[in-house]
Amino acid sequence: MTARTNRRGFLATAGGAALVLVAVPGGLPTGVLPVGVAEAEALAGGATFEPNAFVRVERDGSVEVTVPKTELGQGVRTSLASLVAEELAVPLHVVRVRTADADPRYGNQATGGSSSVRTLFEPLRRAGATGRALLVRAAAQRWGVPDAECTAAGGGVRHPRRQPLPYGVLLADAAALDPAAVEVSLLPPERWRIIGRPQRRVDNADVLTGRARYGLDVTRPGGLVAVLARPPWLGAAPRSIDDTAALAVPHVVRVEALASGVAVLADDTASALRGRERLVVDWSGGEPAASSARWFEDLDAAVPPSPDGPAGTPFTASFRMPVLAHACMEPVNATAHVADDGTVRVWTATQSPEAVRRQAAELAGVDVSAVTVSVPLAGGGFGRRAETDVTEEAVRLSALVRRPVKVMWTRDDDMRHGSFRPASSHTLHAVLDERGVPVWRHHALATWPLTTAPVFGTPELVRAFGDRFGYDVPGAVDVRLIPSPLRTGFWRSVYAGQLVVAEEMFLTAVALHGGLDQVALRRDLLTGKPRLLTCLDAAAAEFGWGRRLPAGHAAGAACLDDYGSAVAVVAEVDCSGEQPRAVRVVVAVDVGVVVNPSGVRAQVDGAVSDAVSTAFGAQITVREGAVVQSSFRDYPWLRIDRAPVVDVVLVPSTADPGGVGELAYAPAAAAVAGAVHAATGRRPAGLPVVGAVG
Amino acid sequence: MRIRVNGDVRRVDAPGETPTLWALRDGLGVLGPKYGCGIGACGACTSLLDGRAFRPCSTPVTEIGDREITTVEGLSRDGSHPVQRAWAELDVPQCGYCQAGQMMSAVALLRRVPAPTDADVDEALRDNVCRCGTHSRIRAAVHRAARLQREERDR
Repeated sequence: MTARTNRRGFLATAGGAALVLVAVPGGLPTGVLPVGVAEAEALAGGATFEPNAFVRVERDGSVEVTVPKTELGQGVRTSLASLVAEELAVPLHVVRVRTADADPRYGNQATGGSSSVRTLFEPLRRAGATGRALLVRAAAQRWGVPDAECTAAGGGVRHPRRQPLPYGVLLADAAALDPAAVEVSLLPPERWRIIGRPQRRVDNADVLTGRARYGLDVTRPGGLVAVLARPPWLGAAPRSIDDTAALAVPHVVRVEALASGVAVLADDTASALRGRERLVVDWSGGEPAASSARWFEDLDAAVPPSPDGPAGTPFTASFRMPVLAHACMEPVNATAHVADDGTVRVWTATQSPEAVRRQAAELAGVDVSAVTVSVPLAGGGFGRRAETDVTEEAVRLSALVRRPVKVMWTRDDDMRHGSFRPASSHTLHAVLDERGVPVWRHHALATWPLTTAPVFGTPELVRAFGDRFGYDVPGAVDVRLIPSPLRTGFWRSVYAGQLVVAEEMFLTAVALHGGLDQVALRRDLLTGKPRLLTCLDAAAAEFGWGRRLPAGHAAGAACLDDYGSAVAVVAEVDCSGEQPRAVRVVVAVDVGVVVNPSGVRAQVDGAVSDAVSTAFGAQITVREGAVVQSSFRDYPWLRIDRAPVVDVVLVPSTADPGGVGELAYAPAAAAVAGAVHAATGRRPAGLPVVGAVG
Repeated sequence: MRIRVNGDVRRVDAPGETPTLWALRDGLGVLGPKYGCGIGACGACTSLLDGRAFRPCSTPVTEIGDREITTVEGLSRDGSHPVQRAWAELDVPQCGYCQAGQMMSAVALLRRVPAPTDADVDEALRDNVCRCGTHSRIRAAVHRAARLQREERDR
């Protein structure tokens, strides 16, 4: 007979006899092990085995891995579970992955900074290896053999002269052992069977059948849905509210004013939206004349002066970087239940579960221990879900009505009232030698702080997160911050998305000005950067740098080392038509040890999509106090018909894993913009390269 | 009123002007179609109406009439539909939020055009936004699904 594994576990029963299946990866035959009476009893009566907070082996031998980071589409549920599964010696497809609630047992649960795999590569492997060592010890004791004669594979422990023992029969024994009594060692890379091989997303089966549950899919018995009427211009507040018509809508149950707007609460979403349409609010105050064109004038004026450089030919260029919205596919939302029994539950796909927990406790006036924060899947994040604005609304409203409340931001709320990527104005100076090669540089810029992350309120922090100039040209970055007229926050790659794009566009401008080859110039300036140089050479080779391109086409290059990784991009654009289009983008990355090649490629695809989108028109502008854009109609994100071919080169590396989520955005955007410059002969004024910035 | 969803006749207790998306999600618990914009501008809710792609978010439920709605849940529960298989094989989803809509647009395309060209794919899927950048895998998956569908028919 045959039995098949599934994600729930690998116990199958036939004819009353318990059969435990041990799936052995790596080409060995899959064996079905009959379990004897004693083992069957152990199976029935045994405890689960939970050597630490991340690993649980169930009685049926199935494994649950708890992932302490939020799945935003970057694939952490897959990559992090892979680390545990590898060391626990179980195939990934038998692992059930759970996203952790906010809980100090899991350490830092904030998801951001392209840091999840980097920071958890060792701890999660160790968590899995601890479980393996204890299970091996349990088997060795039962057999009366030394641990060293046993190996773990395929969810069981093996010995050359014994019938393999599936984990399921070892749980009670393993749980009784003292973890400190076993030696935990990590597998050497040559024994990896999961790490480094493409793994499909563990959530695919659910996503592709509609079973996956995102924040907006959370429904609670007796729950209400809230949408808010938000200020029609920046900073406006209600002078008066007439909720008569809104409350007359069937199923609308309450209207409540919060600091961020006026909430309409209803039994269902459609009724809440209908109620919001009928709400009459007289708004006043704020900045009804605010204009992003004016903001850019202020930023331009605030750019610090450049000091005099050494002797040589001066070269100067200025760039503006736009305000950007995150525009997550799933608008931000949160569900909260401040219950009468003193407990608080929050369901939200947040990048900051611990902050949400503290915030909910404070708002509801309860101890943190009374608050449970559960984290469903997120329909995109990009930094937006690091913030706690929507959870504040949900907790406050639930505290008022004492029922579960789901706050949903509509698309226009999300586009107009989010926390934006700051705008900036950059002036770069270089002094060129007689060949046109820069021998000195100065980058002066003015931008806004991140108002939602007050620690990002100093020029030092901007430099710490954005000054990544890796070329051998002496110089400095001078940052001036002026007060932000908007709510601002983290956006994929944060300040590097402004500073690096400007610097790489500038370097391309230097090359084109002097008739120099963009790649050769960069190569010459990359002294002491072997990883970056390898990436640049790999990208140029894969692209076929130097070959003749069709009329109207041109290529641009850019590099970055950041997040413990290195990346180089060569992009080809076609400027022969009415609108430029990206034809092909080659990205070579050295991200150290690759955990999941399919995931790394996907992250690069995503960064390129963001780069092309922001290069070719997506920006937030403000007129008469209001954000102009309100949906994907006027925030033109890349569509399939304009999507370039993306070729990803994974440069082999044994370095510790680096970050990848944010890595390719800035160089890809700069490479695309540089390609347009090369194709048209006109230096773009910033991003987007078409139309006006601001 | 009653509507036909994924082979069942379901009772909807909502005003006729209610967008079909909310009748499905809040009324019937059919959560596969996603809210992304409410104005037919993103495609996250894309489902089929008598086999043709439509946007439940901007179709009042009263307009459904006798026609059959198919959501992603109606393709197959076990992921065995050729489009689901192709999406899984090529590991398409990132955040996954748009993918039900992408797949339903692909299903509608493959009903009309069993062997689509790249231009056909562009035309059929360009109004489905993917914010994560899965476009090239989507394209490959549509072609793969077309092949799987043909193989299934030939068997």
